[in-house]
Amino acid sequence: MTIIRRKRRIAAVVAGAVLATSLAACGDDEKTSSGGGLTGPAITLAVNPWTGSAVNAWVASVVIEANIGAPVEIIELDENSTWVGLDDGSIDAVLEVWPSGHAADYETYITDKGSVVDLGLLGPAAKIGWYVPKFVVDAHPELATWEGFMNPELAALFSTAESGDLGQFTMGDPSYVSYDEEIIENLGLPLKYVVAGTETALLAAIDQSIADQKPILLQFWQPHWKQLEVDLVEVQLPAITPECEASLASQDGAYVCDYPVDQLYKAANAGFQAKNAAAFAALSKMQLTTEQQSEIAGFVDRDGLTPEAAAKKWVDANPQVWQAWLA
Amino acid sequence: MAVSVETLPTHESDAVVRARRAQRTVGFGVFAALVLAATLVSREVPEWMDSGIQRWAQDRYQWSILNRQTSWVFTSFFTPIADFLTWAVENVESLLLALRWPGVVGIVFAIGWRIGGLSAGATGAAAMFGMGLIADWDHAMRTLAIMSVAVVIALVLGIPLGILTARSDRAESVVRVLLDTAQVMPIFVYLSPLVIFFGVQIPPAVMATVIYALPPAVRLTNLGLRQVPVVANEVGHSFGTTSWQQLLKVQLPLARRTILLGLNQVIMMAFAIVVLASLLGTGDLGRDVLAAVQKQQVGLAFSSGLGIVLMAVALDRISTGVRSTSTPQWARRLPRFSRGTARWTALGVVVATVVAGRLFSLSSFPSSWSVDVAGPIDSAVDWVESNVRRDVPIIGGTQAINDFLITEVLNPLQGFLQWLPWLVVVVAFAFVGWLSKGWKLAAAVAVCLALIATMGSDNDTVLWDHAMDTLSQVLVAIMLSVLIALPLGIWAGRNDTVQRVLRPFLDIAQVLPQFVYLIPVLFLFSIGRAAGVVACVIYAVPPCIRLTALGMREVPFAPREAAISFGATRRQEMRQVQLPLARKAILLGINQTMMMVLATVIIASLIGAGGLGLLAYRASAKPNIDFGLGTAGGLSIVLLAIVLDRLTQAWGANPDTERGR
Repeated sequence: MTIIRRKRRIAAVVAGAVLATSLAACGDDEKTSSGGGLTGPAITLAVNPWTGSAVNAWVASVVIEANIGAPVEIIELDENSTWVGLDDGSIDAVLEVWPSGHAADYETYITDKGSVVDLGLLGPAAKIGWYVPKFVVDAHPELATWEGFMNPELAALFSTAESGDLGQFTMGDPSYVSYDEEIIENLGLPLKYVVAGTETALLAAIDQSIADQKPILLQFWQPHWKQLEVDLVEVQLPAITPECEASLASQDGAYVCDYPVDQLYKAANAGFQAKNAAAFAALSKMQLTTEQQSEIAGFVDRDGLTPEAAAKKWVDANPQVWQAWLA
Repeated sequence: MAVSVETLPTHESDAVVRARRAQRTVGFGVFAALVLAATLVSREVPEWMDSGIQRWAQDRYQWSILNRQTSWVFTSFFTPIADFLTWAVENVESLLLALRWPGVVGIVFAIGWRIGGLSAGATGAAAMFGMGLIADWDHAMRTLAIMSVAVVIALVLGIPLGILTARSDRAESVVRVLLDTAQVMPIFVYLSPLVIFFGVQIPPAVMATVIYALPPAVRLTNLGLRQVPVVANEVGHSFGTTSWQQLLKVQLPLARRTILLGLNQVIMMAFAIVVLASLLGTGDLGRDVLAAVQKQQVGLAFSSGLGIVLMAVALDRISTGVRSTSTPQWARRLPRFSRGTARWTALGVVVATVVAGRLFSLSSFPSSWSVDVAGPIDSAVDWVESNVRRDVPIIGGTQAINDFLITEVLNPLQGFLQWLPWLVVVVAFAFVGWLSKGWKLAAAVAVCLALIATMGSDNDTVLWDHAMDTLSQVLVAIMLSVLIALPLGIWAGRNDTVQRVLRPFLDIAQVLPQFVYLIPVLFLFSIGRAAGVVACVIYAVPPCIRLTALGMREVPFAPREAAISFGATRRQEMRQVQLPLARKAILLGINQTMMMVLATVIIASLIGAGGLGLLAYRASAKPNIDFGLGTAGGLSIVLLAIVLDRLTQAWGANPDTERGR
């Protein structure tokens, strides 16, 4: 039947290809994967989809390959998969975790299961908050603090078709931590909480707002590459009180304060130390200041270098920083 | 057999007509009584209906996290599968890389030529080469490797399942629900469990692709086997074939074309999921799209996305398996080969390209050849964004459409659906089911909708309300899609030039990853339900146009000719002859549109549409808090889809063939 003849044709084509590949393999100059004198199993570092995460991992990669001699593999994936990878060891370490978004993961994998270990703080602090474009505060200085939003007329500046008469508060990706709905309700602000769904949507909304000079109020954070591109101003929320800290711990829905500062930390698979003690020690000690991290991230976001090139450039220029990690 | 209340054929006697009419009056009476009862019984979904499915799913998820290193389910089942998948993909990938790019292009050409003719081979090879010009070749080979392994697995699982469903009606009805679930269940619901089961990176990505791409393999095998003429089966039997011989020697060969179409559809579905699968860390072309979108680089996202489209075109051309009907002029002038010569020439092309590629050590696609499509696309998008949003004559611009859709269309509809007592909605849909096909369908529809009421709640909002939110968006998106697609489809069905002009756009819209156009859609409209509806429409219009045009073209010429010879104008002939005869295909098109819209609900939730889609997305956004909630949201989407699907299929079904089954 035709179907069989067709299979033969394909089989012949594939056979020809395999034959040709093996014939030509003699004249091959393929690089071996263990080039450059790197030995041992590859250390896998996770990179999550933001610049800071990428430059940390590439700096670590450059330092480890040059000084410890182990190959490093960078894996780009989303945050939730990262924790599962850390759990089963397919990922050895992640160098930037935002604690606010991963309290449940910390409890599951580090506290309860013990399959992941806390590698200590990375150094930089991050901060989530409420932001408006600068032109909004220029026109209405009272909107620099939350009290300004109590005024329904000012809040209505932020209204959209979706929010009707209320002002719209825009939240991005639902995987990020958000107390915004609680804060709006508990402060009694005339705002409607709208989930954009993704960070991409949030960024597009910022662009739209700037282009139209139409006010937008959103949850955003520092550091973020978009902060270099547009002028955003953080809206002052009520200072953190002991009651708020208690509410945060008990998740009772009564939170009315500003976001706590996120001390970024590192985490590793529990078996990483046994796999490569030297790399484990180096990554435990690895620390960057906020300024250092933004400098490297700037090479990428501002100057257009790849994260790898940016890391090399910084590592070459700052031996005293990373040599301390190896001591 | 269900009582059919289809439009009455004219030859039925007056008595039958009167009986039908009486039946219908009784039906209306029962419906009115049920609505009244429903309003009195419960306006809101009662709390006792919560089945606790969220808790149940969340507990299973948590258990899996804690036991994935110790339980035998993982150590002796999932982990070996994961290891095999990684091994398979890595080997296919290194083979593809070892072939070098000229070898891969040569093989695409050779397979395309031998299966679909010279022009298919040439188009396939050109598409593959073009992909190299605009996208990262090595990443593309990773994508191709993942696709190949997933497609082979989908066929290995799908064809036997298809044979099973063709031979047993009971198996068919069970498998059909599973396939509907696989097709509409948002990938975000099963991504997290797949990661827990199979680890990160390649294995879960392959499995997600298999789940998504499996349905057409089963459906079309089933369809092909069931379409084998009774005569052919009888002949086989009378020659005393065993059941196996019958299957292998008679049915499968006769169903070949349809099964091959299934293979083609499997490949296309697999390509549709590349970008989402890359969330798991595949490091392939999908990742390039995702990374560019995350950095708002629309042009870059487009060029990687077009790379995916071109690769899909290449595989489409070499897997269609049907010699293209019209050979282009230039191909006809080429020398014709005898079968033997052709085989050797094809083999020669492959060997030559592979050897050349390796001798000149063309390890990767030369970067100096790459064509910058990102720049022009960026400026085109900029132009559209700055000129279409406002101050467009008559329609006012996309912002005005955005506001109109939300305040004048979506808000009232959603408000109405949520205001209706939930049981009234159930009864109303059941009544439509009864009108379309009888009490069996009515019961099925009622059960599906009632199941949504058992899905529990999210904080204070019952999932039912989210379902009505989503239903309102879906209805609007379907209506818009049909309004756009029907006229275009009818036009393309009657005019070859229109068909030819539309085709590439339809191809691209169907395979281009949705992520690519999310940013422009977002910017033109705003975060919210209108942008979501538009994204759904862009994705759902192509199949509807295609099927409408196909239906118009398949109408036999004789009745049309007859109408014209009786003096009908072109318009009359179209409205009274061609359109009614194409009705079934058009209704199938609407049905497909509906399924596409429901499958896109999840994408719409990424740009602010909320509803069930957002709940489903939360299953992978915060799995260890919201997995149960997301599962309930995803299941509700599936239930809505089944209701809408069965209803539209009942409208499309021809009463005569129904009786014949």
